[in-house]
Amino acid sequence: MGDLHSLKKAFLDEIAAVTDLAGLQQIKSRYTGKKGLLTEKLKALSSLAAEERRNYGKLVNEIKDFIEGTVKEKELAFREIEKERRLLTEKIDITLPGKPFSFGRQHPINQVLSEIKDIFVSMGFGIEEGPEVELDYYNFEALNLPKDHPARDMQDTFYVSDDVVLRTHTSPVQVRVMEKKSPPLKIIAPGKVYRCDSDVSHTAMFHQVEGLMVDTDVSFSDLKGLLELFIHSFFGKDTPVRFRPSYFPFTEPSAEVDIGCIFCSGKGCRVCKTTGWLEVMGCGMVNPRVFEMSGYQPDEYTGFAFGMGVERMTMLKYSIDDIRLFYENDLRFLKQF
Amino acid sequence: MRISFEWIKDFVDVAASPEDTAHRLTMAGLEIEGMESVEGDMVMEVNVTPNRPDCLNILGIAREVAAVFGLPLKKPQACIEGPQEKGDIRVEIDAPDLCGRYAGRMIKGITVGESPDWMQKRLEKCGIRAINSVVDVTNYILLELGHPLHAFDADRLEGRVIRVAKAGTNRSITTLDGVERRLPEDTLMIWDGKEPVAIAGIMGGEGSAVDAATRNIFLESAYFDPSSIRRSSKMLGLKSESSYRFERGTDREFLETALSRAAILIQEIAGGTIHKIVDVYPEKYAPVTIEVTYRKVNSLLGTNIDKEEMLRILEMIEIKTRDKGDSFTASPPAFRGDIKEPIDIVEEIARCYGYDKVPVRVPKTPLADGILNKKERKLEALKEAVRKSGFNEVINYSFMNPDDLDMLSIPEGDKRRKYVTLKNPLRQEDSLMRTTLIPSLINNFLYNLARGTGEISLYELSRVFLDEGGPLPGEELRLGGIYFRENTSAVWHEQIPSFFVVKGVLQALFAEMKAGEYSMVPSDEVFLHHGKSADILFKGRKAGFIGEVSPHIIERLNLKIKKPEIVVFELSLDLLLSMVQEKTVYAQIPKYPSIERDIALVVDDRLTAGEILNLLRGYASPVIESIELFDYYKGKNIPPDKKSLGFRIVYRSKDRTLTDNEVEAVHGALVEYILKKTSGELRG
Repeated sequence: MGDLHSLKKAFLDEIAAVTDLAGLQQIKSRYTGKKGLLTEKLKALSSLAAEERRNYGKLVNEIKDFIEGTVKEKELAFREIEKERRLLTEKIDITLPGKPFSFGRQHPINQVLSEIKDIFVSMGFGIEEGPEVELDYYNFEALNLPKDHPARDMQDTFYVSDDVVLRTHTSPVQVRVMEKKSPPLKIIAPGKVYRCDSDVSHTAMFHQVEGLMVDTDVSFSDLKGLLELFIHSFFGKDTPVRFRPSYFPFTEPSAEVDIGCIFCSGKGCRVCKTTGWLEVMGCGMVNPRVFEMSGYQPDEYTGFAFGMGVERMTMLKYSIDDIRLFYENDLRFLKQF
Repeated sequence: MRISFEWIKDFVDVAASPEDTAHRLTMAGLEIEGMESVEGDMVMEVNVTPNRPDCLNILGIAREVAAVFGLPLKKPQACIEGPQEKGDIRVEIDAPDLCGRYAGRMIKGITVGESPDWMQKRLEKCGIRAINSVVDVTNYILLELGHPLHAFDADRLEGRVIRVAKAGTNRSITTLDGVERRLPEDTLMIWDGKEPVAIAGIMGGEGSAVDAATRNIFLESAYFDPSSIRRSSKMLGLKSESSYRFERGTDREFLETALSRAAILIQEIAGGTIHKIVDVYPEKYAPVTIEVTYRKVNSLLGTNIDKEEMLRILEMIEIKTRDKGDSFTASPPAFRGDIKEPIDIVEEIARCYGYDKVPVRVPKTPLADGILNKKERKLEALKEAVRKSGFNEVINYSFMNPDDLDMLSIPEGDKRRKYVTLKNPLRQEDSLMRTTLIPSLINNFLYNLARGTGEISLYELSRVFLDEGGPLPGEELRLGGIYFRENTSAVWHEQIPSFFVVKGVLQALFAEMKAGEYSMVPSDEVFLHHGKSADILFKGRKAGFIGEVSPHIIERLNLKIKKPEIVVFELSLDLLLSMVQEKTVYAQIPKYPSIERDIALVVDDRLTAGEILNLLRGYASPVIESIELFDYYKGKNIPPDKKSLGFRIVYRSKDRTLTDNEVEAVHGALVEYILKKTSGELRG
């Protein structure tokens, strides 16, 4: 039995001296592994007499449990130490930059256009489109703007031929849709339009959103209600809105929609030319002549149409003072939005 | 138009301040765009809409002021007292369809000098320069009453006759501005007995102009057809205060008053004797009567205005009305030529009643689908995917420069040479409609590079215009992009050829859109690097291209950059969108485990990865789930004319767990197959 005691003592000496997990594993296998010292002792049990075997075996098992318990304990302690060591030594410079990666930005015009579309879509409007190179008929004549009409001067037109123009507004989409679909209608038509004009507040190409609603009982009162909803949604709930009489050949009565100047809260400033108001949209009741030309019964249906310039809305939203910035496509500009 | 507030007070006793008046006018449809104080007066800038030529003068504005404040209007009187001698110039109208009325008076024995100070001041405030007393009076009347007049030096007219007729062939005239103008045949002219002396309604001729030596004048006050004046003015490229008013429509009933008032003023200032009026009036003004129901007005406006109020409003703006029970008739005055239909009456009631008093109602309408249409949704998703890959959106003008296609060496006969040309471009560089987005994107790149930006990745989604012989060009939606990274030092080194960066973006985009199977084959676009470009084919149809810009083009761009590796792409979205798989059907997640095996092949460098992948994928086995390329290597330990490619094969069965032995057998056969097909060998 003495051999067992010295074995235990030797184990205790070794375990006291061990410094890491690897050493511990070696000790463990030297004593309790397949060919370990203690395992050999167990194998030798069969050669002993019954009485001796029982006592010896009991002791061997006690020592085995002891060794395994001690090793386990020691192992846990080493693992703790190891984690502590990693936490102390594995240090990165967290101020180094991350892997360079950035999302691209949407052009501010299209951001605002998306917002406008979302608002109208949420109010049940569908989206329609039409050609940008358009027949004079759809761009003008079907909108109650015959050739030689002085109102054609309101829009400087790019001509491809006598009968083909670059559309000067998105209104021709109204006519094209009315020719194809029967009422009721609730549509918007966003898109590019062109005018032969260029300065701080005009570019030869810009974006418009046209809207049209037609049904049996649509009134000017509805037009006011809808556009007020839109403006409050786009510019904020408390934005003052006013409608003032104007003229468009394709609507009658026609109106310009002004909002209280968002720069001076209506007190009067440079942007609103001291009037306290900013013009944001044109609108009106669809002229019965336009219905007639599109094949709708003007006695049966009424409707309203409205249109706005997306550049203008964007300039107001972000306080941009030069429209040409939108088309320079300078990344230092584009990345701000 | 500039108008003087003090002048308005000649016709209406307005007590309100100019600011208040401006506000009330604006809210009644006459927008006052600006005001400026001039010598104790207020000069207002009025934006008169094209339908209201009656407001292109002081009297017209005064009439509106009177209406909005409910004040009486002091109408101008022009009564020439006593008997008058008959003038010796007769008037003939050869084109009554273009000249509905022509009146005139002779004033003899005048002395032309300067007009009085008060008149000059008023003219000046409204932006008209003083010339001489006679011309100033005609301009004064134009501003005050809106009726353009013209004074001829009667002694410089041949044959004692004024004839109104078209120019006919081969005629020209030197106008008051000293310019000799060739006249289009249909131009309406004022002739004397021999030749044209004025372009009717647009500008007088130099030959019959009034100057300091003039003693006798013939003063013209006429009505010309608006369309005819507009056409002539456009064709001649000549506009004047007169033509501006005539082409919008003048009041033919009122021209006599304007004529007489002018004659009186001239006599007061320049002396002389006023002669009898000559008045040829072939086409009499026909008053219109419009019937409107009260209900129609209120239902269209969404108001509840009572009968009396409607009629009161109309009478206030000089529209005569008659109640007929459920409806009423309205007869507008001659100066309101814009009022012809019931809707015009509704508008007049609405604007005078006040738009602000119309109640606000949220429209009751049938439910619409209220969703973005399918195409819109797909495009939004597509743009988002491109942005998430780091590309910034640009918007360019739809124009291109005729040289752009040459710069890209686009060959004759190419579809992109079938462009649409503008007749009146703003600049010659912008005279064509784009047939490709690439030139604009290259310009965006150059612009940003010149401003020191070293990382440029841009995309644009826009239409291009291709002349296909129809009345309108084809409009094709394109997605274009450009990518450039300067070789700058970076903390985390990652060297990936730009072509593959962009290819990765497009791969992700096609996957995101569920665009289905596609292939890339070498491209023959001349502006791309032949060795580094690809056409993208969907079901065998070319949807676009991707590639490095050719060194030829780079040289033309004169770029001073170290790494001229610029990658562009352009895709036809109409084609791409048509490939999108509309319906997604759920596929069961595999129940049984997979086993992966790799093949590392060393093959001839000329054999492309795509070809080998196609060979591998062509190997039929029910237990092969996927085959992907996961490694590409050239360099040490590989002969220079070879490359090493690593493929990962995933084996899986739908209905059982595969055994190692089973996979080993299939994989062994696959390896043997591919070695034979590629004449390659396994990497040691």
